[in-house]
Amino acid sequence: MNPLLAQFLAEAADLLTQVDEGLLQLERDPGDPELVNEVFRAAHTFKGSSGLFDFPELTRLTHAAEDLLDAVRSGRLALDSGMADDLLAAFDLIRGWLAHVTVHEQLPATAGPAAQSLITKLRGPLGGESAPAASDSAPAPSAVAVAVRGPDWLDVFDAEWLEKTASWLSTTSATMRFVRYTPDEGCFFRAEDPLHLMSQVPAPAVLALIQPFEWPPAETYDEYQCLIGFALATRAAVGELNHLFRYVPDQVEIVELDGDAIRRHLSGEEPPEPPPAVVAEAVVQSQAENVELARDAYAILAAAQRSLTVDSPSGARLSAVARSVAAAASALGVPVEAEEPDIESLTARVATLLAETPAPAEEPPPVVAPPPAERAPSDRARTDDPGGQVGTRILKVDQEKVDHLMELVGELNVAKNGLTFLADAAEEEFGSRVLGRRIKDQYSGLHRIAEELQAAVMDVRMLPLSVAFSRFPRLIRDLSRRLGKTVELVTEGEDTMADKDVIEALGDPLVHLVRNSLDHGIETPAEREAAGKAPAAKITLTAVADGDAVIVEIADDGRGIDADRVKRKAYEKGLISEDELESLTESDAVDLIFRPGFSTADQVSDLSGRGVGMDAVRASVEKLGGTVSMRSQFGRGTSTRLRLPLSMAVTQVMVVSVAGQRFGIPVDLVVETVRVPGAELGRVLHSDVVVLRGEVVPVIDLARALDMPWTPDPAADRAILIVSLHGQRVGLLVEQFHREVDVILKPMEGLLAYAGEFSGTALLGDGLVLLVLNMKEVLSLAARAQ
Amino acid sequence: MPLELNEHTATLSDVVTVDEVEPLVAWLRATAKPKVNLRRCNHLHTGALQALLLFQPRITSAPVDAFLATQVLPLLRGSSGVSSAESEPP
Repeated sequence: MNPLLAQFLAEAADLLTQVDEGLLQLERDPGDPELVNEVFRAAHTFKGSSGLFDFPELTRLTHAAEDLLDAVRSGRLALDSGMADDLLAAFDLIRGWLAHVTVHEQLPATAGPAAQSLITKLRGPLGGESAPAASDSAPAPSAVAVAVRGPDWLDVFDAEWLEKTASWLSTTSATMRFVRYTPDEGCFFRAEDPLHLMSQVPAPAVLALIQPFEWPPAETYDEYQCLIGFALATRAAVGELNHLFRYVPDQVEIVELDGDAIRRHLSGEEPPEPPPAVVAEAVVQSQAENVELARDAYAILAAAQRSLTVDSPSGARLSAVARSVAAAASALGVPVEAEEPDIESLTARVATLLAETPAPAEEPPPVVAPPPAERAPSDRARTDDPGGQVGTRILKVDQEKVDHLMELVGELNVAKNGLTFLADAAEEEFGSRVLGRRIKDQYSGLHRIAEELQAAVMDVRMLPLSVAFSRFPRLIRDLSRRLGKTVELVTEGEDTMADKDVIEALGDPLVHLVRNSLDHGIETPAEREAAGKAPAAKITLTAVADGDAVIVEIADDGRGIDADRVKRKAYEKGLISEDELESLTESDAVDLIFRPGFSTADQVSDLSGRGVGMDAVRASVEKLGGTVSMRSQFGRGTSTRLRLPLSMAVTQVMVVSVAGQRFGIPVDLVVETVRVPGAELGRVLHSDVVVLRGEVVPVIDLARALDMPWTPDPAADRAILIVSLHGQRVGLLVEQFHREVDVILKPMEGLLAYAGEFSGTALLGDGLVLLVLNMKEVLSLAARAQ
Repeated sequence: MPLELNEHTATLSDVVTVDEVEPLVAWLRATAKPKVNLRRCNHLHTGALQALLLFQPRITSAPVDAFLATQVLPLLRGSSGVSSAESEPP
């Protein structure tokens, strides 16, 4: 892709976000001029950059949006939600186009018609769309320059009014548009109504009548013949007028007049011949040239005189001097006849020439070209244009590059870990303890650097949660409008940082939860008032850092979850037994929502209620290594809490071995490691259990679950790793515990992708590939094996 | 009903379209001292305006509609076409 286009696309994303946010804020606080300016500037920058590429529809659409924003900015229009809808729709369309451009480097084929309908909408509040040809940046062909003198028909206006208007226009250096409409006599038969057309002119100042020279007598009057015409003074733009009168262009005359032109019309004075600027400049130019030429000629003559008196040239040199003297003389306007040069006569001629022609002034008169006054401020405006990247300390980097850096850090970690094995080998194989120790020293230095490097790269990948939250103001606005609910969004802790992958992966679950809240949780304003609540509901999005995790909470003050109803539904669907129906606590009942296939909605809406919901949320959060929990108070609201690791790039795993094979288990899940004598393992209901501090914990034979042949030594203690999954403790019977390692987890790919019991692979320092277990799958495998 | 024609007074209301022009002109022709009530009129077809200009009936009450009241009524009342009320500069 053309790098310029790539940069445009990268910047466009930012600008679009800026526009979106600004518009939403503006809708809430329509009077804020700074906000309008911000949105306008973003749209303006966007239009400007889009002009570099061959996307005419894009430029036209942004142009229309910009015009509307400009009208809002100048206070001519107040932004209402309809206009905000149109503007948002326009930028949404653009976002879609840009996605297409990113892939195909051209706009989609449907861009033209889609843009046109939006342009018409956007131009609506401005008094109609200017003709499509005029909406291009090229000036409209029908544009009317400010006329020097008013047309004759200006007489139909009241002279006194014209006088007042003229002085007003002069004082404010404004102009006004004057329209004359002389309808065709038969226009009534074409269902035209000239008066109706005149009544449509925006911002009319005064309407005047053009009467026929002679009215027909009443008896012979034909009421279907249009005899009158109109003249109108208006502050509407020429573009608006052209649009309005687009079907009767030949019957309409539009002039733009300033105060002086009207006055000239009133006094009957001819417009003064404008000083032809070009000619004046040319005169100045030629004078300047003359002066310069004269000076040169004078210098030549002086040089010739010196040469004649000092060198006494002869032959070719003399004739050369003679030729230059002749040229200088003709330049000075005293041509001399060329004759056979002889030194005396030439010297005399030079002397007379120098005496006759006055020495020109040392300096030519300064060329009086007035400095273009407007240029200076516009140049200045350009330097502080936010589009200029000069001086910014922010570097925009493709994410792939950072990802690659992260991979290299991972490899460095692996290579570094290899040193400990080397140190062991130095000691054991080559018998050099000193070398072993030195390698270990070297290792610790390298380890520190690798850790810092890793932290630095991670820091680059960190983004504030505001990135994930940013789409919600828009989503909530759209959905609440659709559902007829009033919702206020409060976000807290947007500054909390988390890894980019976490932020991105968080998007879908959050959207789902917010949708659920809006659709099920929040009542209509009427219901809320009946329940004694404020009519506007509140959704709170909160983010807090909690050690190496981030907690994101979505809370609403809606109707909450009816635990009894959830239990009944779950029972009807056969998800719980009759006993459970009786015994389940309220919080356990709320947890039922996370069961696959569960939905309390009686009706399927297009937002939610299809039963693919909370289980998907839980699955995707767990895939990130996080947890979901939900609390609800019936009638008071619901809050859902997501706990996610701050970073997914590096995973800490505990290495254990089973049947001689090493496996990794995410440290987050590990509770403790215990060794118990084989005799202490009990059996309850066909499964092994171990009693730990009075608690019965089921034990799973990992080797059996993974289908690996291994029989534990009956005499040795059993090594059991206690893990916690969904709040439940499970023991894993393993062969041996090893240490914890930081690894970069690579997902299972290719032929191994089907192996759900592994969440990924990691490379160890000794070059071994470690399989990291997906505990959830392992547990279900174990359940099937029993 | 946009057109209500009585003995001396015609009441024009809502939107007076081209269809009402013919009966209006016939009434204006036949009525000796016609009076026209424009109070509830929202729009006047050009043909109707033209007829009012030609026959110059007395306008008994001014229209409520802003455009008719500020821009069209002065045309019916004064030949200059500009009323003093509208002579304010823009």
